[in-house]
Formats: sequence, structure tokens, C-alpha cells
Amino acid sequence: MTGTVNLRELVLGILMEVTESEAYSHIALGEALDKYQYLPKRDRAFVSRVTEGTLENLIQIDYIIECFSKVPIHNMKPLIRNLLRMSIYQLKYMNSVPDRAVVNEAVRLAQKRGFYNLKGFVNGVLRAAARGMDEIAYPLPEDDPVEYLSISYSMPQWILRKWLEQFSFEQVEKVCASFRSELPVTVRLRTDRVSKEEIIASLREEGCEVAQHPYLDYAVRISGYNYILALTAFREGWIYVQDVSSMLVSEVAAPNWGDYCIDMCAAPGGKSIHLADKLKGSGYVEARDISEEKVELMQENIERLGVINMVAALRDATVFEKESFHKADIVLCDVPCSGLGVIGKKQDIRYRMTPTRQEELIRIQRRILSVAQNYVKPGGVLIYSTCTIGADENQMNLKYFLENFPFRLESIDPYLPEQLHTRTSAGGYLQLLPGIHETDGFFLARLKRNDE
Amino acid sequence: MALRNIREIGDEILTKKCREVKEMTPRLRELIADMLDTMYDAEGVGLAAPQVGVLRQIVVIDVGEGPIILINPKIVEQDGEQEGNEGCLSVPGKAGVVVRPNHVVVEGLDENMQPVRIEGEELLARALCHELDHLQGVMYTAKVKGDLFDTAVEEEEETEEDQ
Repeated sequence: MTGTVNLRELVLGILMEVTESEAYSHIALGEALDKYQYLPKRDRAFVSRVTEGTLENLIQIDYIIECFSKVPIHNMKPLIRNLLRMSIYQLKYMNSVPDRAVVNEAVRLAQKRGFYNLKGFVNGVLRAAARGMDEIAYPLPEDDPVEYLSISYSMPQWILRKWLEQFSFEQVEKVCASFRSELPVTVRLRTDRVSKEEIIASLREEGCEVAQHPYLDYAVRISGYNYILALTAFREGWIYVQDVSSMLVSEVAAPNWGDYCIDMCAAPGGKSIHLADKLKGSGYVEARDISEEKVELMQENIERLGVINMVAALRDATVFEKESFHKADIVLCDVPCSGLGVIGKKQDIRYRMTPTRQEELIRIQRRILSVAQNYVKPGGVLIYSTCTIGADENQMNLKYFLENFPFRLESIDPYLPEQLHTRTSAGGYLQLLPGIHETDGFFLARLKRNDE
Repeated sequence: MALRNIREIGDEILTKKCREVKEMTPRLRELIADMLDTMYDAEGVGLAAPQVGVLRQIVVIDVGEGPIILINPKIVEQDGEQEGNEGCLSVPGKAGVVVRPNHVVVEGLDENMQPVRIEGEELLARALCHELDHLQGVMYTAKVKGDLFDTAVEEEEETEEDQ
């Protein structure tokens, strides 16, 4: 008989890539699932759940391991460290798997992967953890709020400290909690092609549950499908997977018939396609990005979705292009960012980001902004957006921008659903917080260039 | 130490019943050693003698818990049910869903012709059923639910373990 796929070994391989080689978790997991597409849905779900769950709870899991191991987590062999992590996750969070099975499988895997001499260690730590799981003393919010949030929600302390300067403890806790709850996928219904009713009927016919999103009429949440790429609505290009926060960018951009738009950092192209759809075939959207790979990806999307008023172009957003000077009615500036607003979707972002990397990003963001503003016509609009939370990459960049360039903030309330109207949105920008708003964490601002 | 050729589906030998082993001989010892080598080389979890062209009741299995060698094995107890993917070294690149008992007890002889009793759950139970079927000339393809499908190329599976 051929060796069947050992699901736990598969998970271990993905964790090794993510935690030791800095692979992106969604890519590593996606590749593994693509490769084993023939696995039954239940097995695929197990692999996703254990991988994502372990990464989602990494800081807490390491805290638990250190309660039961004399060896500090960072002195362990990488393979053993990750084996313990995924096993602790199963012990704590997966009641459907018996403790005995978790321990035995871990010991077996340690042996199989050449750590015969560490079988006893793995066995000892996991048995002790299985017995003592309910008696672990966790930090309390009243003693140390940062430590409490960090261990409870596996968030790095430096991020929490920054957020707590800007938001209340309750808000920060809601945001952290939201990263742990499973969010259904949101799709944009391309109702300029097929009616909303028809698209929803097609989705339901293929087993999807479809629920209306509260902010936008053409946004729905779908769940219950096996493989989204196989859905008729997807293949026909009637739906586009996109968070509502991204859709709000095109709402706030509010293009007029015939507008010329530049999207500075466009890949994979969702916002550009949305703009092009809103232009109903008129005008022109130039979707730029920095790598050939990304541009090809967008080109494929353009063709698959049959968009005629959009083109993908290979351009570096930090390099000024003379021919675009004062040409665009709308410039989208969705800059590369720390991504702290989408931790719920890409669990490893929080561990990858560091204060130094964030500072580098801020420098790039400002460089892109200073190039992008050149392309906006007098009276035209620049939409600044990030998928992150926190003033450094958002409000502070706006401040920098307004001090250096002839733009002013313009109220975005006319383009937003009423639930999102706030003091800041009337002033021209909005920080969306997951767990408080029904979107990812996201920031967007509408900046109008002064008439000359 | 030698690798033997694995017979593939279509080869008539895979459809024939195997004879019992009456006594251990140097040639059979060599066969068993070769079957283990061949199984490990092909990254299988089990191999039956007819798969290397010998119609004797011998199987080798290793589901990651060490090698098991069984001569003249019989299933004496079985219960439960598991449904899952199964593949065979004689049907390369394919797999299919097969329903098997979740728990089996097998009695037979070890390589020294001493009686052994092996109890297996889940993967081991599946492997025992699969290999014992081979001794009766039965392939899993006869029991598969639905269609066979192509399995992914697994060449990268083991490369990442080097520390």
C-alpha cells in the first residue's frame, strides 16, 4: 500500500516553513492544499484548522509550553518546537481529538522525523500539558493589561502598546478578539453583468449560504462552499472576492463617467476592477504594480472578468513618471503597509512585523504619496488607504501629506453608509476596526487637490 | 539487500492466490529483506509478496511504527468502519476511497515462524486489510468507492526534514 498523507506531518511542514523560513502562511497552506486537492474535505479542514489555529495562538501556546517544559521554547530544535506547538493547539482547542491520540501522534512524528532521543521529552511535556491544561495561571487584565492581551490573544506587545495609546482597552480587546473569529468570505456582486438575484440564485444552487452585508447592497457574505474557484459565479466573473473595506475605496473615490484613474499599487486589481465597473466601460483605469508577476496576474483577472476600460502596467510607484503629471481625475494610493488590520486573514503578519520594518514601510508610503500627488489633476482626488490599524501609517502620513502638498481632506460621508458616519469621516478619513465595524481593519482618506 | 521490481496492475500474477509458507528458507529470508527494502525505497507502508512476483503468503508493513513481517496471516477479528483514501504501489499515481474496518486483529507467523498476533487501528488496520487482500489476488481497485483519481506528485515530501 502507498503511504497515505500524514495530515499532522503536512501541518508540521507548513509550520516549519512559516515560523522558521518566514514563508507566508496563506501561501504555504494554499500550496499544500492545492497539492493535496484530492484529500477529503474533512482532512483539508483539519490541516487548515490546525495550521491556522496554531499560528493564531502562537504566543499563548508558547506560554503554555514553557509552563510544562524546562527547556525554553527558543532553545528547542525547530522541528520539536513546532511539533509541540501544533499538539498543544489540538489539546487546548480541539475537543474532537482525544488527548491520547495527540500525544501518541506527536511522539510517533518525532521518531519518524529522526528525533528518537527526544521522544521522551515530547511525551513528557505533552502529557503534563494535557493533565495541567486547566490549571495554568494566565496574566490578568488588572495586573498587566499588555501582558494579558498579549497572552490571551497572541499579540506582540509592541503592537498592543501602540494601540493602547490611541484606543481604549475595550476597543483593543475587541479588535484582538475579532482576529480569532472566523469571518465568512465577502464577495462583490458584479451586478452590471448579471442581476443580483441571478447571481445569488446561482451561488445558492451550488450549496453556498449567502448573507447580505449591512454596508453595501452589492456585497454579500458566502460560506458553505468547498472550493470557491469551482463555483459557476466565480468562473463566469460574476463575483469578485473582496473585503467591504476595499469596496469602500471605490465608493469614496466616486468616479464620474469618463474619468481617468491611476491605481498606484493595484495588484491583484480588486479596487481597479471595481472602479472600472463603476465607470461602466467609460474612461480608463491604469492599474500599476511593481513586479511582472503581479502585472500578469492582473492581466489575467482583466481578461477573465472581461473588463474593457482597464489596463495593467508595470510601474514602480516610487518613481515619478513625467507623462502622468496632472493627468488623473482619481489616483488610488493603496500603499504597502504592515497589514495589522488583516491579521484575521493572514495570521502570521503579527509575528513578521517589527517596529523597524514598520519604519521602513512608512518611508516607502511617504515616497509613494509624494510621487502619486503629482498625477492628480487640479481639482482631482487622491484616495489614500492601508489595511492597517494605528496612527503611524495612517493619520501621521495624512499629516505629512497635508503639510507638504496642496491638498485638503474632503468629507467622505456622502459616499459611506450611515452606520459609518463619524466625526473623522466628516473630516475626510476613517479608521475601520475589525470587531467594531463589519470589515477588516482598514484606513481610507479622500484628499482633493486644490484648484490652481 | 536488493530492490525487486514492483509488478503493476495488469500483471496476471496480482490476480492469483498465494500459497502458504511451510518452512523458512534462506531464499525466503532474502525475499523478506528485499521486500522491506523495496517498500521503503518506494515510500510505501506495505508490500505483499505477489507484488514482487512471488506467490507466497508473506507481507511486510510499516506505518511509521517499525516493520511488521507476517507469514500466512489471517484476519481473526474485525470491527468498526473507516472510509478513506487508499493507494497501491502496484497502481502508481492513483488513489481511491475504500471502506475498511477500523480495527482488525491478524494472526500469523513472524520471520522465525513463531506465532504472532497483531492488532491494528486506522492506518494499520487499513494496511493489514490491503496487504492481506493481495494474498488472495484482490486489488483495492475492485473495492474502490467511486472513481480512482490522480494523486499529487509527492517528491518534496521528505526533503524538508533535513536540519
